[in-house]
Amino acid sequence: MEKVKIYTTPNCPYCKMAKAYFQKNNVQYEEFDVSVDKKALEEMVSKSHQMGVPVIDINNEIIVGFNRSAIDAALHLK
Amino acid sequence: MFDLVIIGGGPAGVAGAIYAERKKINYLMIADSIGGQSIVSAKIENWIGLPNISGADLAITLENHLELIGVNKSIGEKVLSIEKKNNFFQIQTDKGKKYESRYLLIATGSHPRKMNVKGEDDFEGRGIFHCATCDAPLLKNKTVAIIGGGNAGLEAAIDLLAYASKIYILEYTDSLKGDAVTQEKLNNNSKVQIITQAKVIEVLGDKFVSGLKYEDLKNKNVVKEIKVDGIFVAIGVVPSSDLVKNFVKLNERGEIIVDHQTYQSSDPAIFAAGDVCDSLYQQNNIAVGDAIKAVLSIYNRIK
Repeated sequence: MEKVKIYTTPNCPYCKMAKAYFQKNNVQYEEFDVSVDKKALEEMVSKSHQMGVPVIDINNEIIVGFNRSAIDAALHLK
Repeated sequence: MFDLVIIGGGPAGVAGAIYAERKKINYLMIADSIGGQSIVSAKIENWIGLPNISGADLAITLENHLELIGVNKSIGEKVLSIEKKNNFFQIQTDKGKKYESRYLLIATGSHPRKMNVKGEDDFEGRGIFHCATCDAPLLKNKTVAIIGGGNAGLEAAIDLLAYASKIYILEYTDSLKGDAVTQEKLNNNSKVQIITQAKVIEVLGDKFVSGLKYEDLKNKNVVKEIKVDGIFVAIGVVPSSDLVKNFVKLNERGEIIVDHQTYQSSDPAIFAAGDVCDSLYQQNNIAVGDAIKAVLSIYNRIK
């Protein structure tokens, strides 16, 4: 099973689309709302070296933004 | 060899693909992502038939429509270049693939304009942001600068009001350009400071943004510096017409010039629709209509 984490903020459209994409492809994920979870925010910044959301961590591979081809490659979806 | 390749996944590309499917054209749609520029809108209230939908939900709805009718598509693939051969085009993508097509529908929309100043690329994502809806919550109790006093900039400021402790709005001309109603909301807020006739010249920082320098155009171009933790850039958009700029006529803004009955460009095999073409109005609903006219025109040529 792939280990997928997604760092989000509440109204972020790309976060919503990324989660919808995971759901459609039956990918389980753990979500961290970095607007309230300070520890997760620090983790996200240290992993991705930047502050924009979403950040997606697939088996320690870090993807910034809803980058579909990178997600597909990391999850071997296509 | 396809008869038609549609490039782009905004409302224009999606509408074009749906009509190509219905007309049983031998086609392929290639798009980096689905939804277009209004993905970032929290609320779209003018999409006909759905009086209130978020940009993200619109994107999901559009993709569902493509899937429901079995559109031939490759999403998450980006076109890198197009070569013109004798009587077809060769399209190269970031997946290392090559596609061939007799006709093209360019529906690539537009992308945010850059400031083109020192430090801008270095701090992308490290304090320079483009999506206020996404990233405003990360600037709780921070000082931010919004570059651009048009509607996009003012709406970013509204998103930031709930979080930032101080908001500068830097506008190049002598007054804000956004809607009066939005301006009023911001004028009455003590957090907001509007600086007009300001030309940003450098983004400052170490690991993350710590400030910016601008020329004060109303004061002999004196260079001033402000300390900020975040910068939102909202200075308009540039049509994404680079892929075909060597084959078609563009206007002075870089938009593809088309005939507005057929949406054919100066190259008879290249059509364009939506924000990348020289439509007078940049609207989702209009982009849809443009693309449908283009695909029907192409259909009439190949049937």
